[in-house]
Amino acid sequence: MSDVTIDKKLIGEEFDVIDIVVKQDEALTFARACGETHPRFTDPSHENFQIPPTMVAKFVGRKIMPEGLKGFFVGTFDAGKVVDIFAPIRPGDKLRASSKIADIYEKTGRSGPMTFVVHRMEFTNQNGVKVACVDWRMVRRTPLKAE
Amino acid sequence: MSLRFQDIELGDELPEHRPDIRLEIVREFAGAARMDAAARFTDHDKAREEGLPGAIVPGIMSQGILAAMVHGWSGDGIIERIDTVFRAMVVADTEPICRGVVTDVDPGTRTIVVDLTMQNEAHETTVLGTATVRFSV
Repeated sequence: MSDVTIDKKLIGEEFDVIDIVVKQDEALTFARACGETHPRFTDPSHENFQIPPTMVAKFVGRKIMPEGLKGFFVGTFDAGKVVDIFAPIRPGDKLRASSKIADIYEKTGRSGPMTFVVHRMEFTNQNGVKVACVDWRMVRRTPLKAE
Repeated sequence: MSLRFQDIELGDELPEHRPDIRLEIVREFAGAARMDAAARFTDHDKAREEGLPGAIVPGIMSQGILAAMVHGWSGDGIIERIDTVFRAMVVADTEPICRGVVTDVDPGTRTIVVDLTMQNEAHETTVLGTATVRFSV
């Protein structure tokens, strides 16, 4: 029996906005720990120095879910992430990240029905350029009941 | 040495990559990603208390490892998109193997698609995905 009811109108509504300053020391550590060797990720003096493309996936907003989906997060697990990069992100960049629910869908696997929620975070830099988008697929085994 | 688009053919395989996921490296990553408050990424014993097989590698670190493998192979190739599916836990202090194979080549956009996998020591696929990589030359 579902213990979370959702309003499908939540899909597409922005529910959180945060401002982020990209830090060089975190970018260098992220790159080193992942095994990056290209100097554009490891050498701050490189002419095209930038953060590793998947680093945007580490940023989270103040709210992970909109009010109407708060109960969903309990018992979920991370099913995967899609990172789209549209322009390089440099240390020192000031990003504005807005969050919304991009999709909600169900699938049935060996263990039964599962509900997927796709949390989308879009990043715009200080020049108003959209630089990245991260889709975070969260899955929960207990199906949701749609209103 | 950077690859050129014209040097790449459908079916090309990336060199196998054995990432360093010793616990100290995972801890370092967790710190940079501000995930170090979660003991499941930093402490084997505490992770086991949560019912896990040991401290686990964050999904976004596995994704970053696969991206780094693509960069290490392609040189100046730019990842425009990377899509990863986390199928099973990756445990710190183990020795996974990452592989990649070119599954699409588009001369019109100078982009390729690379299928990516990470396998654990039991040869189970723990992470899979694709990366779209663009070349300027």
